[in-house]
Amino acid sequence: MFISRRSASQSSAFVFAAEVPSSRKTSFLAAAAVAALMAAVPATRAADMLDPAKPEDALLLNRKMTCSLEDGQTVIHWWRGSMLSRVPGERDRVLFNVQGMNIRQCGSFVDPKRGPGFRSVSREVMLYLDPQTNEVLRRWKNPWTGEEVEVIHVANDPVNMRAPTFAFGADGKPAVFRGSFVKGKAWTSGEAPLWYDNPLAGDYQSYVGNNYHAMEMLNSFTDAKALLNPAVRTLPSVSISWARVSDWIPWMKMGGRTGIIVFNTVGMRVASLEDLSEPLRSELKANYPAYLVPPPLDDSRPNETSWTYIKKVVDSRRAAKGD
Amino acid sequence: MRTLTTITAAALSLLVAGTASAAGTEQPLDPANADDQLRIQVKMSCSLVEGTPTLYWWSGRVWARVPGEPNRLLFNVHGMNMRQCRVKQDPVRGFCYRSVSREVMFYLDPVTNEVARRWKSPWSGEEVDVVHVANDPVNARDWYCSRDKDGKPVDRSDNLSFKDDLLLEGGGAARLFYKSPLAGEYQDYVGGTYHAMEFGTSAASAVEALDAGDSELQDTLISWVRISRWLPWMKMGDRDGLVVFHTAGMRLDSWEQLPEVVRREVDTRYPSYKAPPPLDDLRPNETSWTVFKKFIDERRAKESPSN
Repeated sequence: MFISRRSASQSSAFVFAAEVPSSRKTSFLAAAAVAALMAAVPATRAADMLDPAKPEDALLLNRKMTCSLEDGQTVIHWWRGSMLSRVPGERDRVLFNVQGMNIRQCGSFVDPKRGPGFRSVSREVMLYLDPQTNEVLRRWKNPWTGEEVEVIHVANDPVNMRAPTFAFGADGKPAVFRGSFVKGKAWTSGEAPLWYDNPLAGDYQSYVGNNYHAMEMLNSFTDAKALLNPAVRTLPSVSISWARVSDWIPWMKMGGRTGIIVFNTVGMRVASLEDLSEPLRSELKANYPAYLVPPPLDDSRPNETSWTYIKKVVDSRRAAKGD
Repeated sequence: MRTLTTITAAALSLLVAGTASAAGTEQPLDPANADDQLRIQVKMSCSLVEGTPTLYWWSGRVWARVPGEPNRLLFNVHGMNMRQCRVKQDPVRGFCYRSVSREVMFYLDPVTNEVARRWKSPWSGEEVDVVHVANDPVNARDWYCSRDKDGKPVDRSDNLSFKDDLLLEGGGAARLFYKSPLAGEYQDYVGGTYHAMEFGTSAASAVEALDAGDSELQDTLISWVRISRWLPWMKMGDRDGLVVFHTAGMRLDSWEQLPEVVRREVDTRYPSYKAPPPLDDLRPNETSWTVFKKFIDERRAKESPSN
């Protein structure tokens, strides 16, 4: 599962954390029903394996899909793909290739009433690349407006679970592992429909519009035996597929024009930063040194999203110009 | 670089098709070689052994995205595709294949997980018949080859990543934008064009992918996403909004591995979908739009026989 505790003000561009906020539980329960329909528990589960029906074990399964059972173990996810536009009345356009990575770690918690818990903290970068040459783009000419704009890559620090998730929720509800087990594989699949006050828009959004409107989609696949085996503290092999649909990215400077963008990517867990693809690896080292390690386990800063990040960039430029 | 010997070996393994795995001594496939890239793709999509039935299954959810409101979960979905491929070695075009398949996808009530028969549109308030996806055939229109008509290799490496024990495939999208079979003769002028985007990604074992003696990737995992205008049966007319499908699934070994809801529905209503179309099937493809046109045309004919 990948949805961190999100609130109106703290949704990240995307996260691979582990709990669903109560406001979105309905839809995820429905998703869980599908999972339950499939062989939710493998038929031949050995006695010493984790049991998805036990809340404490469900928590560990969620944690293994998110990070590592070892506190402070760095886990890196990498993905590549493309970003397209969808504008009514015209063929979709491939605007960019993308390469991204998330570097994270988890820490353990214990609550006298809610049992064991964990929280993930992470940093995340995604680069917009020329779709022909795969070079990191610095400037982009907007084909609809004709204006050339500066490309502001995704650099979100932090992308954290706001609070730990426990074996039992604050309302006493047991943790659930919403996974499918098929043919020796295991996976989770979910969506996070995001709808909240846009940090770049005004104070009357429910009257005049402009809400932040996006949906994140993530599938994570792994080997069922490794997932269910409590002795495997960190999954050796995880592949992911991440997609996202949202309004225009603010730096594109599309204003209120009709249209959306769509990300489509495939990726995996990698052992180290050296395993990242080029140009992501070099760009990360050269321009995002803070992103070479995850944030500290006790990080309490509010989450950054592409929207909050761009607000800071635009605000600082306006201040420099004396606007 | 590939040597002449390995090319011959690969060609041989193709010729002897079914017995290739018995050898077990082939050079591994070369992910930098255009012919082998396509062979790897065929191992994922179907099989290097012509006519091997290939079953894929996926499940997920359908969401509505309407400007000005939070996305709504409309349905759970279960889909399956039954496919087989022809393969050949062409002196100019290199390694070639053509797939033929049938496909169903069922819309399920998101709360009860029962197959939905009727649906009340929360926007129009109208209750309509749910027309499930049942596309027969979904075929490649032509041979798909590793080299162009001049014999120049087509590089597909951008879509293939080999890392550790994994092969990752995908990252691009099918951008569908063509004349809608349900709209009129002046779509360039007044709109109504069919407009959708589909993208799939796959993950499989890299070792198995490169094993020349292994004719299919039996444990391929898939993700599939689709974004389009409202489905025609939703009767949403010109209303603003999109549907977004997000699913995960994998290749199955047998019919029995399908979820019960899919088996029951196919058994009772779509029994022909338990086998792929014949290898030489040349019928035009069906889409949800063409299927719906037949559905609505038949209904109209019944309702007003005089027309």
